[in-house]
Amino acid sequence: MSSSDEDYVADDSDDAGSHQVSSRHGTRSQGPVKGPAGTSTRGGDPNAGTRKRAAWEDIQRSWDTVVESADGSITAAVEKERNEKKRGRLLRDTTPLQRGIIRHLILVIDLSFAMQEKDLRPTRYLLTLRFAVEFVTEFFEQNPISQLGIIGMRDGIALRISDISGNPTEHIEHLRALREQEPKGNPSLQNALEMSRAALYHAPSHGTREVLIIYGALLSSDPGDIHDTIANLITERIRVSIIGLAAQVAICSELCKRTNSGDDGNYNVILDDVHFRELLLAKTTPPITQTKQQSQSSLLMMGFPSRVLDAGPIMSLCACHSKLTRGGYLCSRCDAKVCSLPAECPACGLTLILSTHLARSYHHLFPLKNWIEIPWPLASQSKSCFSCQTPFPKPPRTSSHLQVPDGKGKGREGVGTSSESGRYGCEVCGRHFCIDCDLFAHEVVHNCPGCQGDSRGNVQVRDRDVEMGGS
Amino acid sequence: MDRVDGTEHYKGDVSQGPIPALLLIILDTNPHAWALLNRDLPLSEAIANLLVFINAHLAFHNANQVAVVASHCHRAVWLYPRPGSSSEGVDMAGGETPAINDANKYRPFAQIEDQLLTSLRDLIQTTTPDDVASTNTTQMAGALTLALAHINKATLAFSQQIGGTETTADHLGSSDDTSGLQSRILVLSVSGDLAHQYIPIMNTTFAAQRMRVPIDILKLAGDTVFLQQASDTTRGIYLQLRSPQGFLQYLMMAFLPDQTSRKLLVAPTQEVVDFRAACFCHRKVVDVGFVCSICLSIFCSVPEGAVCLTCSTHLSLGEYGSKPAVVPRKKKKRRKLNGGDDTPSRPGTPVPNK
Ligand SMILES: [Zn+2]
Ligand SMILES: [Zn+2]
Ligand SMILES: [Zn+2]
Ligand SMILES: [Zn+2]
Ligand SMILES: [Zn+2]
Ligand SMILES: [Zn+2]
Repeated sequence: MSSSDEDYVADDSDDAGSHQVSSRHGTRSQGPVKGPAGTSTRGGDPNAGTRKRAAWEDIQRSWDTVVESADGSITAAVEKERNEKKRGRLLRDTTPLQRGIIRHLILVIDLSFAMQEKDLRPTRYLLTLRFAVEFVTEFFEQNPISQLGIIGMRDGIALRISDISGNPTEHIEHLRALREQEPKGNPSLQNALEMSRAALYHAPSHGTREVLIIYGALLSSDPGDIHDTIANLITERIRVSIIGLAAQVAICSELCKRTNSGDDGNYNVILDDVHFRELLLAKTTPPITQTKQQSQSSLLMMGFPSRVLDAGPIMSLCACHSKLTRGGYLCSRCDAKVCSLPAECPACGLTLILSTHLARSYHHLFPLKNWIEIPWPLASQSKSCFSCQTPFPKPPRTSSHLQVPDGKGKGREGVGTSSESGRYGCEVCGRHFCIDCDLFAHEVVHNCPGCQGDSRGNVQVRDRDVEMGGS
Repeated sequence: MDRVDGTEHYKGDVSQGPIPALLLIILDTNPHAWALLNRDLPLSEAIANLLVFINAHLAFHNANQVAVVASHCHRAVWLYPRPGSSSEGVDMAGGETPAINDANKYRPFAQIEDQLLTSLRDLIQTTTPDDVASTNTTQMAGALTLALAHINKATLAFSQQIGGTETTADHLGSSDDTSGLQSRILVLSVSGDLAHQYIPIMNTTFAAQRMRVPIDILKLAGDTVFLQQASDTTRGIYLQLRSPQGFLQYLMMAFLPDQTSRKLLVAPTQEVVDFRAACFCHRKVVDVGFVCSICLSIFCSVPEGAVCLTCSTHLSLGEYGSKPAVVPRKKKKRRKLNGGDDTPSRPGTPVPNK
């Protein structure tokens, strides 16, 4: 096993115990020590039982941590915790990924009777759909030029939910539509795998072919021998990973192991909803590349074609399927028409891609710096949030503005905590924002409204640089 | 203003009645572009027409909201609602001017007109000749960011009013498009090239897409690739103003319907969408570029020493390299690859399991 594979598995086990790190280390030290490589690779299986026990032993109840204020109310504490929780999400680090990887992934969702169980709130079904939407969003953030398709298992057949494409909005709409329906019947692993195989058949070989199954049931009603299907999956280099919602199933374990060339780290059973979400979102990270060609960093020549729409009765043949179509994309080098992107121009071989697919990941390249909490002494500069104009709380009336009440402000500086003055400041432009705008700027828009909204400061800096360079 | 009573009015039956809409207008006030446009459509006339359009939007539904941001030459400024005098983005003195007690005018209309004109006058007065001389573009990315932040806040406030407690991430993930505030952005754009703001503009585009906020563009002059992409990605409307005299008609006919009504209408579409990108090295708009496989940065030519300027990875020229593959033999090879063959013909490719 390569060293990179170990990392991947180790990541998984990290996710498993992320909110109870100490207990995980505890269980590990009790077990036999197999050396650094052995522990991390085998960590998944033998320890699974002990880890599960630790989950409820170590649980943190929010009501234990709440501190009542002087008048016995907890609103302040609740508000504080909420803000801290909100900001805590911001601190996920963004490890550099190879985003040039083109992944082709089929997400298979169990829609059988087993999903009606209420062991996950509100039901397995609704929670899975909610997490699936999150997964789709995150998948395209991490893998901007990849393709995704969604398949469901219901009534013993495989159900095409969303065709393979690179458009997250479409997938999310189809997932939303599912919420109106009821999970019923038996799941069929084989049917779903066969449909995935068909969907991935045309995936170009320079990308990955993956199937991710969310499996709630403990059975599968298959029309034939699933081992034949597994053999076919292996020859077509399709890798399967499964997230089980109930318990380990032998065939799932075998399926994952055989399609991942013996690596059994791709079959996981959830402990609770938090764990479920972590396991699912961990799959948005591109898998370890297995061919040299992909892992090599290279400069790819790509074309950014324009989309044309043939108006009226005019239709033309596309170069990729020789079919009559209305509209398509014209290769930027040779003007051949292709139906969809990303694709390789059938005429000149140029990789054609939608520039918006690439741009989707650029906020990772130029991440927005975390904003700092503004203590009361500095809070008087601003009366309202710069971007949404929500008024801030007024500074408390103290004899001097430079005095910090209780000396609290000092220890609480830094990122990841909530600000006592309700203000969060960008260090570049010096503007103050409210917590909602802080979250919004860092999680959604990835721009600082202050820095983008006023370039005068930047221009001065640039001029100064020019002067220094010139002299 | 009417925001408070409007939302109260909709408490309870929000699922039945029409959903209030928030219209966010970004007015590109680039002085250079308006100077050129002055003969056909002076700014004053454009504003007058815009106010009629705003009033029409407000008249549609008594809980409809509007907000206006100016994208000026060096900064993005709120025109309506007017920021408090403390905000140092606009350094103006004096607060609200009354004198809007005109009995012949619906009060909210008068209020918006008054505030918008006052802020605009302030903006123009605080623009120094230096500001105008030092640039010829506009702060569109900033204006879009402000607009989206406002929409985010308004959506949160609205969903809280109707009883939900959602956070930013939640309402992105779970809210249906049938509940919650229907927001859209209309950009009145006069400036051309925005290539130096490529990344921030694309960031706002994807944020808008996640929030399901369409970005409509009415192009009065110039042409920008990236605003075209923004409206296409967010399923907004992109229109080029062909005759400036018909400005108001364009606004009323194409941009007045909200998302719900648009489902029933045939919206004007762009026949050709330009999907070119700006290179990271010179901010040049390119249609064929070199892309780093690690970080996906775009370069117009192979960077010096084949080292990526963004992530400093040493890059080898991949198989797609500079060779244009017009040799027929090569072409055949590629086709085989495309057909999903299980024997990759590339030399030196190891089998999956080592
Ligand atoms: Zn085709
Ligand atoms: Zn071509
Ligand atoms: Zn704010
Ligand atoms: Zn800033
Ligand atoms: Zn360049
Ligand atoms: Zn790079």
